[in-house]
Parts: sequence; C-alpha cells; structure tokens
Amino acid sequence: MSARNPGMKLDLEWISKVRVNTQAVLKRAQHIQKHKLAKKQWQAAWLLKAVTCIDLTTLAGDDTPSNVHRLCLKAVQPVRHDLLKSMNMHNKGVTTAAVCVYPSRVADAVRSLKAANSSLPVASVATGFPAGQTPFKTRLEEVRTAVADGATEIDIVINRTLALTGQWEAMYDEIRQFREACGDAHMKTILAIGELGTFANVYKASLVAMMAGSDFIKTSTGKEAVNATYPVAIVMVRAIRDYFLRTGHKVGFKPAGGIRTAKEALVWLTLMKEELGDDWLQPYLFRLGASSLLADAERQIYHHVTGRYAAYHELPMA
Amino acid sequence: MAGSTTKTVHDIFQSMEYGPSTSSTATAQAWLDHHSQALGLFIDGKLVRPTERQTRSLADANGGSVCSTVCAVEDDIAQCVSSAVGGFKAWSELSCHQRAKVLLRLVSVVGQHGQCVSEVCELCQAPCSPSSLVRLAQYYASWAQVRDALITDWTPLGVVAVVASDDCSLYSLMLKVLPALAMGNSVVVVPGRSTAPPALLLAQLFMEAGLPAGALNVLTGSDVSLGAKVAQNHSISYVTYSGNKQDGGMLCKATAGMGVPVSLSPSVGATCPFIIFESADLDSAVDGVIEAAFKKKKEIQWVLCVQESVLDAVVSRLKLCMAGMKCVALPSDGDKALVDTAVQEAQQQGATLIQPCAAPSSGAQYPPTVLCGVAPSSPCVATPPPGPLLPLMSFRSNTEAVALGNHSPHGQAASVWTEDLTLALETAKSLSVGSVWVNSHSVSDPCLPASGHKDSGTCTDGGQEGLYQFLRPSSSPAPLPRFSPVSLDYAKFGNAASAAVVPDGSDPASAPKFYQQFVGGKSCKSESGSSMTVRPPGGSGVLAYCPDGGRKDVRNAVEAAIKVQPSWMRKSPSARAQSLSSLAKGLEAKRRDMAVAIMAQTGLSLEEADKEVELSIVRLSDWAARCDKAHGGAPPVPESGSALSLPEALGVVGLVLPDNRPLLSMVTLLGATIAMGNAVVMVPSQKYPLPALTFIQVLQTSDLPAGLVNIITGSRDQLTAALANHSVIKAIWYWGSAEGCQYLQYTCSSPLKTLWLHCHEEEGKNGGMDWSHPHPSLLEEIWRNAVQWKSVWIPTA
Repeated sequence: MSARNPGMKLDLEWISKVRVNTQAVLKRAQHIQKHKLAKKQWQAAWLLKAVTCIDLTTLAGDDTPSNVHRLCLKAVQPVRHDLLKSMNMHNKGVTTAAVCVYPSRVADAVRSLKAANSSLPVASVATGFPAGQTPFKTRLEEVRTAVADGATEIDIVINRTLALTGQWEAMYDEIRQFREACGDAHMKTILAIGELGTFANVYKASLVAMMAGSDFIKTSTGKEAVNATYPVAIVMVRAIRDYFLRTGHKVGFKPAGGIRTAKEALVWLTLMKEELGDDWLQPYLFRLGASSLLADAERQIYHHVTGRYAAYHELPMA
Repeated sequence: MAGSTTKTVHDIFQSMEYGPSTSSTATAQAWLDHHSQALGLFIDGKLVRPTERQTRSLADANGGSVCSTVCAVEDDIAQCVSSAVGGFKAWSELSCHQRAKVLLRLVSVVGQHGQCVSEVCELCQAPCSPSSLVRLAQYYASWAQVRDALITDWTPLGVVAVVASDDCSLYSLMLKVLPALAMGNSVVVVPGRSTAPPALLLAQLFMEAGLPAGALNVLTGSDVSLGAKVAQNHSISYVTYSGNKQDGGMLCKATAGMGVPVSLSPSVGATCPFIIFESADLDSAVDGVIEAAFKKKKEIQWVLCVQESVLDAVVSRLKLCMAGMKCVALPSDGDKALVDTAVQEAQQQGATLIQPCAAPSSGAQYPPTVLCGVAPSSPCVATPPPGPLLPLMSFRSNTEAVALGNHSPHGQAASVWTEDLTLALETAKSLSVGSVWVNSHSVSDPCLPASGHKDSGTCTDGGQEGLYQFLRPSSSPAPLPRFSPVSLDYAKFGNAASAAVVPDGSDPASAPKFYQQFVGGKSCKSESGSSMTVRPPGGSGVLAYCPDGGRKDVRNAVEAAIKVQPSWMRKSPSARAQSLSSLAKGLEAKRRDMAVAIMAQTGLSLEEADKEVELSIVRLSDWAARCDKAHGGAPPVPESGSALSLPEALGVVGLVLPDNRPLLSMVTLLGATIAMGNAVVMVPSQKYPLPALTFIQVLQTSDLPAGLVNIITGSRDQLTAALANHSVIKAIWYWGSAEGCQYLQYTCSSPLKTLWLHCHEEEGKNGGMDWSHPHPSLLEEIWRNAVQWKSVWIPTA
C-alpha cells in the first residue's frame, strides 16, 4: 500500500486544458457494460471482492442505535459463515470495507463494533450532507466532531455552487481545510456529479479534489437525481489516472447511489480493472457505497454454493 | 485451459483475473453437421456438392478443423453463370416492391437465425454481427423499393461477380452483394476462405426470404484466381472486388482484355492515420487507438500521429492502458518472423517500444506493441507487417498533421481526434481519404458513401452514390463488348515510332500548317520536336502536321496540372461555373474557326460543323451550370451525430478522346471533369486532332488557370502508355482499341487508376455514345465518373 495522497498546489492551467468528449465516454461505457461477466468460481470470487469493497451504508432520518447496531454486525459477517466455509473463504477476513453513517450515529457505530471486537472502520458523511448548503464554519466543525467521535473515514460533500461557477480556488481551499480537519482520518470527497452539469466539470472537480488531498473521490451522495453512472465513473477514474501519471499518487474511487445488484457490482469491478488496473480492485482504492447491494451479492453467492436461489429470509438481514 | 478450472475462489479473489471466456458454437456446429462439415457450392438456389473436386479446409482460432469447401472448376462456373443469367431474368422482371419485399424478409430471416449466423462467423474467424447484416438488408431493401422513383432511367447491369480475398470481412463482401441485388442484378459471389461458410449460409437464408433461384450463387475456390475464371464467362457484366491490394492487382491483371469492367475496393491492409491533436480528449483517443490497433482481425493498419505538445501525455497513457494486455494471435506462423524483423529494424533506428510483456520466443503470438519515434521512412510504416504493431509519429502543427496523414499511397480512412470543430472539419476536408471519423474510428454504415482515394479504390461503396456501380444509363449502348484477351507484350505497347515528317519541298502557299500542342498554359512543340501527319477525311494527302507528343510531354503536362488542380478544386463552385461560362463564350467567339476546322478534318458540311460548335457551346454552358448542382449531403446514420458526404475531384484525369464528333465529345468530357474540380491531360483523336488543336485558341483566351487543361497530340498508343505510367494521374477515360483497353486494365492495377474504357472498333458498329443529344442519365454518368466521395462522421452525444 502506498502513502496517502498529500495533495499538491492548485494547478489551474492543468484544469483549464481538460477536454472530455461525451459520446466517446458513452461508447466506452457501453463497451465496458458489454464485457462478458465472470461465471462460476470467478463470479463467486469477484462478488466476494465486491463485498469487501462495500461501505455498508445507512443514511436515513430514522436511523437509531438499534438499526446501526444491526448494520455493524452484518458488516462484520457480511456473508453467511457456512457459505464462506464451503468455498474455504471463512478464515480470509471477509468483511465489508467499512460502515457509513451520519455524524450523529458515529458514536453508536463505534460502540457496536468495539463490542463485537471488530476494527472495522466507521465512515461518516459530513459537511452539510447531502446539499453542502450550510455555513463553512459548521461544515468544518462537523468534520472535527465526527473524527473526535471515532470516525476514521470522512465522506465530505463539495460546495456545488463553487464548482458550477468555476471558483476552483475557493473550492480547493475549502477541501484543503477539511483535509486538515480530518487529520489521520481518510477523506472521501463527494462530487455530487448529478449536479455538475457537464463531464468536463466532473473531470475538473475531480482534479481539484485530488489536488486538495482527497484519499478518495466519490460520485454522489445517493440523494441527487442522477447517481453513480458508468459514463461519469469513466470520467472520474480517468481523472484519477491523469493525477497518478502526473504525481505518482493513487487516489481511490467510490461510486455510490443506486448500486443494488450483484451484476452491477461485477460491472463496476470490470470498469476499475479495465480503466485503472488491478491495483484499484482493493478496498484501499475502491469502495462501493451501497446498502441493499450486499443482500443480492450474498444471494448470488448462495446460488453459487448451493445451486439454488435463496429466499431473502434465508440470509441474515442487515 | 486445463489448469484454470482448478483455480479456487481464494486464488481468484487474490488475483482478480477474468474467467475463461466460453462462447457456444453449438448452433453453428449443428448447421455444419447437417452438411457433414463439407460445404459445397450454392448454385441455382441449392447447396450442391459436386464430386471429384479438390477441397480446401478451414480451421478455427485454435487450429481445429471447422469444415471443408469445394474448389469450383470450369463446369461449375458455367453451370453457375447460366443459372445466374436465368436468375437475373427472374429477379429483374420483378417490380421494385417485390424485390424490396424479399430483402425485407431477409431482415427477419437473419433475425431468426442470428445465433447461427454469428456463431458461424465466429467459428470461421470472419466476425460480423447479425445486427450489421440486418442494417445492410434494411438499408438496401428501401433502395430496392424506390429505385425507379429516385434513380430514373438507369438499368441493372446483368450478372455481377462479387469477388473477395481471403482476408476480406463478411461485412465488406455484403456491402457489395446487397446493393447489387437491390438494383436488380443477379450476383455470383466468390468469397474468400473465411467468408465462404457464412456466405453459403446467407445464400440459404436469401432463399428462405424468397429470392428467386439463381439470383444469388456462391462459388468457392482455392484463391482469388477463381474470380478471374468467373469473369471470363461472357455473361458476366461487371466484376467488383473487395479485399487486399495484392489479390486485387492480380485480379485486374488476370481479367485485362476480357472486356469486362473491374472495380476494386482494396480496403484490407490499407495504412490509415490516427491523428490526435492537442485539443483532443486524450483518454478517449488512447482508448480508441488501443481498441482499433490491436484487434486480432483488423482490416486497417493504423499509424498513430500525435501532436508533439501532448506526446508525453499520450505515451504515458498508452503505457498504463496497455499494461494488462495479452498477446494477440498472428494470422499465421510465418508472420512471427516478419513482425520480429520489423520490430528489430525499428529498434535499430532508435525506436522505443511500449509492450505489456516481452514477445514470446515461439508460437504465432505477439504482444500489442507501440513503436515510438519511427518516421515515415521506417520500414514498419512504409510496409507494415501483419500483427499488433502500432507505429507512432509526432507532428508539430495542424498542417503537418495533414501532410503526414496524406503522405501515403493509401487513402482509405482516417481517424481525427479533437474537440475543436473548426480544426476537425478543416482536417477532414484536407485529408485525401474516403472516410474520416472524427473522435471515433472504424464506423461503417451503408448510408455513408466512400471511395477509397489514391491506391485504395476505384469505386464508391455505400450511399446512393455507391449504387451506380451496379447500374448503367438505360439509353447507353451496352458496355464494353466481350473479348478474349489477346497476347500482348505489355512492355512494348505504344513503343512503335511514328513515321517521321521530312521536308518535301512543296509549294509554300499550299504547305500544310504545323500545329502546336498545349501544355501548362502554353502552346508548344513536342519535347522531341518531331511532328505527325494529319490526314484529310479521305485518308490520303496531308492536311496538316501536329506535334508527335510522348512521355516527356505527358510528364510536363501532369506537372503543370497537379500544380493548379488543388487550388482549382478549392475554388467555389460558382467561381468554376464562371470560368466555364467564359470558356463557352470564348468558343462562341471562335465559332467560325472551329466550324472550319471540323469541316476540314471530318468532311462535314460547314452547316453541320457549325451545328456541332453550337452544341458544344450549349454543352459547356450546361456543365458551367452543373458546377454547383453536384453536391454532397448529410446521410442519415442511425446513430447520434452528424454525417457529411462530400464529392471531391479525382485529381488529374487523363482523357484519350473519341474520334466521333471530335469537338463535341471533347468539350462534353472536358466540361464534366473540370466542372467537378479536376485537371485534365487530353489526347485528341489521333485521326481527327484539328478541332482540339484549334480549340487551344479558345483555351488561351479563357480565364482557366494555366495547366488545368492540357492537350497533347500524337500516337494514341504511345500517349496511352505514357498516361498509364504516370502515378499522379488518378483516372483515365479511354476511347480506343481493344488492345488499349487491355493494356490499361493490366497496367493500371498498381498504382491503381480508375478506368472508364470504351472500345472504338465496336463503337463504329453501333454508333457508340450519342454526343449530340445525350440522355440526362448519360451526362449524370459522366460527372459521377469525375468525382470520388468522402464521408465524414462526427458522432455527438
């Protein structure tokens, strides 16, 4: 594992040269979706990999300690033990990558995981999630509180007003300060691509977020009209590649919002493998923000092991 | 493969490799089993398997045997062509609507058997998606329906032979077969090795769709020489070929002198530029070039041209994106050595390689390889070997990109990457290729007309423009009469010296006039200084002397012509129209002189001669008016984006003019060629050169740029040979002897020239073309022969 992305000085010239050809990106996305998906043990292995990349998420107004507790325990044992055992994967540390909750629930999650003797990271959304339309001071304070409560990963949202009006310097400064507030906690920057207008803007916002020191860039909050789509992901991972070529730093990618089926998870893994290579198939560089995906992935694994399709009640709920 | 099935979930979890790709070929196998893996010929609506024939076996990607095909012999050809003659009768008698219905039924039949079609294609390594075949059938079904309404006064040719080389794709083959059928011809298909089984299968599907027996026959053989044997049959009206350049050249030579027109689309193996400007979406461009250049079956040999300012960015992306790629299978074992040599040569010249892994020491495999830092002079650029090699060159400016892209004998296609619309269109217009793909590559749709430029073709495929190769004007005399090739010493053709003109001390008052020819805007004597005698109508005595032009004169004329032709083509059509009008006016002013010249030369009465001048003035005015009427369009590609089709001048055209109506026929052909933006080198009728020589006065007073029109007199054969052996000349229109036709067909196969041949001997008998009152479709045929088509595809979201 390489060192964290330290960020760099804002390079506006680089940003001004960004060109994205929309139809070519759409074609590429179609091409990747047409890629033959894995079968048999390859499918099982890839799905387990997907499971280990999930940020198991609950972001609802009615979250309470009890459902957060259930979520945490499911994250620790995401696939039924007997299923893992039959594939000889029970002792390979298959857990989700993290749990992801609102700042006010961080303490609950940390407590539940500690009680379960798990070192699974707790991620917290922050900075006025999902709209980011709160004063800068309170957004910054949110980050500090979440870190203080024990979150080791912070998913911040960018200020779309700044991105849409091209105020890249201001956006850079904000993210930079969030990164300082994060301290040792890893920072994932949510671009809310559904609200950025063009692919070129997505690319530029991705670059600015990485220059400001993001450890991950993330597609969306899950609350916008358009969430993680393959074309927009291609634009973002190309920005990651571009940044890696220039600086040598690897930044992670996290699609989130609307990813529900095992098949989609396989396409996401294919996309990462095709565009960035095998390094980006590990949880330290790739996360899937999802809540219901895990249930479908577990069902497919059940099918691989038993040859039968499971009813939902046969698999433990989250 | 055996080891891979033992991989545990944990192994794969660690390595995150792709699983083995398994595609079923069960349906294709069932079809092949049904024919016992031994396919026959498709004659008269049935798959027949003549006995006692040589066979040729076809292997799949892993070397396993797929099936065998029969090598047709003379008897089979005769049987097949006679079936095709019957098929033509049945098929061409149907109404447009009935033909369209058959092609539309083909759409659903191919749909029903899509799985079988794609599996057979896959198995035979001739990949072709059923959806692209469906699109072809749909597009041409609609043309079949509206043929008589939209293409009035044209008629099908008869039996058309469509010949393909072994490496031709099924799509390219069908891009010829379907329009030929849609226009009402019957077709004899001579497919290549890998397209033979799919072509036989499609022939069966055609029958299921209700095509009359004989309208489509398939003959298989051992190589492209079968195509020449088929062409020899006198019932064949036209031969068109798709495939590699080499086999195409062989076909031309083998069919020379048979009196059958042959056109080529040598699309396989053409070198094409892939141009990435600094204003491009580099990531998409790099993905595009990787997708295009390292395919196992690729028709195009790409050369990557990158603007210097983004060279490093492109190279680093290539390195990253190619990192995980695997070796690509080479077409054959022998190719490995060729690839190795090419790479070593490039490295010796300082090229650096981008390779995902080292080349394996044995086996017909090679890793995708980019050769950075090569130059147009490098062997791997000039004569690229097969295999996954991609030469990379850099350029400084936009104009240099075009220069680099155009500096190739090929003119098949180009891919241009930039987000700058103006730059994209400027580049697209300046590139001398048939297809330009902006921010995309290898897009083919039957509605896009494209003619391979330069060495890449002599006909237009696709679009309405591509239909005319399968039609002739209803009023035109039957095309070339059929001959058997004579034994001709091609090296000696046109070498015979003409009789020297010596002073005979005749009376100065009645001494015949010495005329001059017209080269580069100046009247002059021939380079050799010698002259030829022009005989009066009766044939005896001396009417005048004209220059005895030769190779050097043609050279001078072509040099002058190529200098002015590009700027003439760039002129607006209305500016060209003005120049042509002024030429008509100039002719009007010299009306009397011209009439006298015609009278003296041909023996017509002055009145009749004056009428010919009159008609010539009208004809020139006609072409002036048509300058801006032949224009391109925006073909409706069924994808999101904008397409353009553009008619472009051929370049320098050589005209060997008819004896018939010497002035009128000359201005008819001259007007058409220059109206469309070409420059011409004309060889007037050897028998009747005086009208053309008198016309020089008109040319001198016109405002046509010097060198655009050149007139060289002399021995027809000698000048024909001179035109044939000048590579700048892109097309020759010839009225002359059968030997001349044979010589041109043989000689103009490399480099390729577009030929439009007419045999004089035969014209004398049936009157030939009606120059005085040609039907509009005849004039259309003339201007269509004077242009080549380019399509530009700009996809948008």
